[in-house]
Amino acid sequence: MRNSLVLDKNYLSYWLRQIRQKMSLIAPIRVGNLGVVLKTVENIHEIELNCPASIPSAKEFLFPQKEDMFRLSEGTVDILRNDTKRLIFGVRSCDISAIALLDRFFGENFVDDYYMSRRVNTIFISIVCNNPEPTCFCLGLGTGPFLKSNFDIQLTDIGDRYIVETYSKKGSDLIKDYYYLFSKPKKSDYETQYEILLSSQASFEKRINLENARQKILIERISDPFWDWIGRRCFECGGCVYECPLCTCFNVLDRVKSEGSGTRFRIWDACMFKGFTKIAGNIWPAEKKGTRIKQWYFHKLLYYPDHFGKFGCVGCGRCTITCPGHIDMATIVYKIDIGDKRRR
Amino acid sequence: MKTKIKGIYIPSKAEIVEILDMTPVIKLFKIKPKRQFRYKPGQFVMVSLWGVGEVPISITSTHGLHEYIELCIRRVGHVTSATNLLKPSAKIGIRGPFGNTFPMKNARGKDVLFVAGGLGIVPLRPLITSIINEKNNFKRIALIYGSCNPTEILFKDDINIWQKKGMHITLTVERKDKGWKGNIGLVTEYLKRPKLSFRNAYAFICGPPIMIKATSNGLSLIGMHEDNIFTTLEAHMKCGVGKCGHCYVDGKYICTDGPIFSYAEIKKHSLFD
Repeated sequence: MRNSLVLDKNYLSYWLRQIRQKMSLIAPIRVGNLGVVLKTVENIHEIELNCPASIPSAKEFLFPQKEDMFRLSEGTVDILRNDTKRLIFGVRSCDISAIALLDRFFGENFVDDYYMSRRVNTIFISIVCNNPEPTCFCLGLGTGPFLKSNFDIQLTDIGDRYIVETYSKKGSDLIKDYYYLFSKPKKSDYETQYEILLSSQASFEKRINLENARQKILIERISDPFWDWIGRRCFECGGCVYECPLCTCFNVLDRVKSEGSGTRFRIWDACMFKGFTKIAGNIWPAEKKGTRIKQWYFHKLLYYPDHFGKFGCVGCGRCTITCPGHIDMATIVYKIDIGDKRRR
Repeated sequence: MKTKIKGIYIPSKAEIVEILDMTPVIKLFKIKPKRQFRYKPGQFVMVSLWGVGEVPISITSTHGLHEYIELCIRRVGHVTSATNLLKPSAKIGIRGPFGNTFPMKNARGKDVLFVAGGLGIVPLRPLITSIINEKNNFKRIALIYGSCNPTEILFKDDINIWQKKGMHITLTVERKDKGWKGNIGLVTEYLKRPKLSFRNAYAFICGPPIMIKATSNGLSLIGMHEDNIFTTLEAHMKCGVGKCGHCYVDGKYICTDGPIFSYAEIKKHSLFD
């Protein structure tokens, strides 16, 4: 159930300080000239409130880059599982939408315990983007700049106050204990919120239509030379995959201390890497760079909608920022949609 | 309905009971898992060697028939090379069984053709055994089995038993040696040898990718229905449960949607490429 309240900005740090006594608090913090990253907060005043989506995405708190799976020592197996209670504050709508999709992916058929044990112990407070970045294109995908459902708590900055919306039970429980900080919104608050949402929607620079690109791929069949041409600009750095909040491929490795003891861990892997599909006996399905890029885009543009009914992209624009070859989602979709002479 | 399983990444212990040398590079491992499980023809387990890695290996024994789980492993990559060095009573980890099974029930009352190339006989063996055991439910049963050379023909005892039980068997080798008096050539040259009514028959194929491609194409040209040609594919796998993404091809996870696909599905999703 969606519920709206109002929180005075002066109370925010008090509220977060109170919550931090119960669980660890993670929020966007500016680190030197690296930009904004999600980190465990030491000083509440360091939190960046008006920042773009962090790089890397919030997925690393649910599906870390390197995660120990179990420890083996003298024949006994310790299953490692992280269940610290966490509040992740200040993530953006795109990340919340991505996590809603990850919940479905990791929760279907075989349930991924590692993801789930982290997920049930994590609460998100998202902030509506009043000023989307030039790289953002969540508007066309319905994953931002604000959310209507599937969030825990959502804040909208309306000047000196926040409109606090709760959707999940986890979210409303977090508010319940601090009810004295919140007040009921006035009619004018709703009006201001509505204006802000409209102006935010209007200020998107990128208008990317993934559905058009999907239709073109399905109907016109983009030829392989197009992907090979894109492949020539790929550095195989894997940046797009690592930054993408919806990429979930991993590799499983063992770190052996001595014989019969050590840790098995999983680590992010990327379909952009050359050896990703190579199997023993020298069979190599996706050897060519173009094939791998095609697989990535087809996964996000075709297979995700087929399976989940949603695109495997939330329009966060992280690949646009990261890709050194400028062959990110927005560019490729634009090329497919608008047309490129090399496409056919 | 698929059921939800927990603890999917934790291998359970298994003991190697017996090792048989099939060829210099292929060994048959009889293993006894600590935790008994049911499995169907065509399914695979993830064999886990501590410090080396995990590989998907098809089960070649039949549930209820063989006392132990049998895995036939050829030395090719890191993990299989390490497995090859193991001695009886060594402990390995296994997870599974994973994957789907051959649509055996659909083939009832029809002719069944098996085409195997080299190690491809391994995943087909449990299916052949189960089909032969309920032979009366099927019409004619035939096997075309091609190997590199006569010494590399696997499961010769089983093949003799199958032949005695009335299976039509065509063996062929690519390179003959002194004692060989049988057929020479690729399996695709002998597809018409068994006298079956191909129009209604079911075919189960396994072998190297190129052989699967040629055979399924050949069978569909003879007049077999593409929905009735089944093959089992292999891919790089890390999890076996549709999460790690290594075997993801054209919207299909080889591990959970497969490894058994019909030729029609393969063509539709271009799984060969």
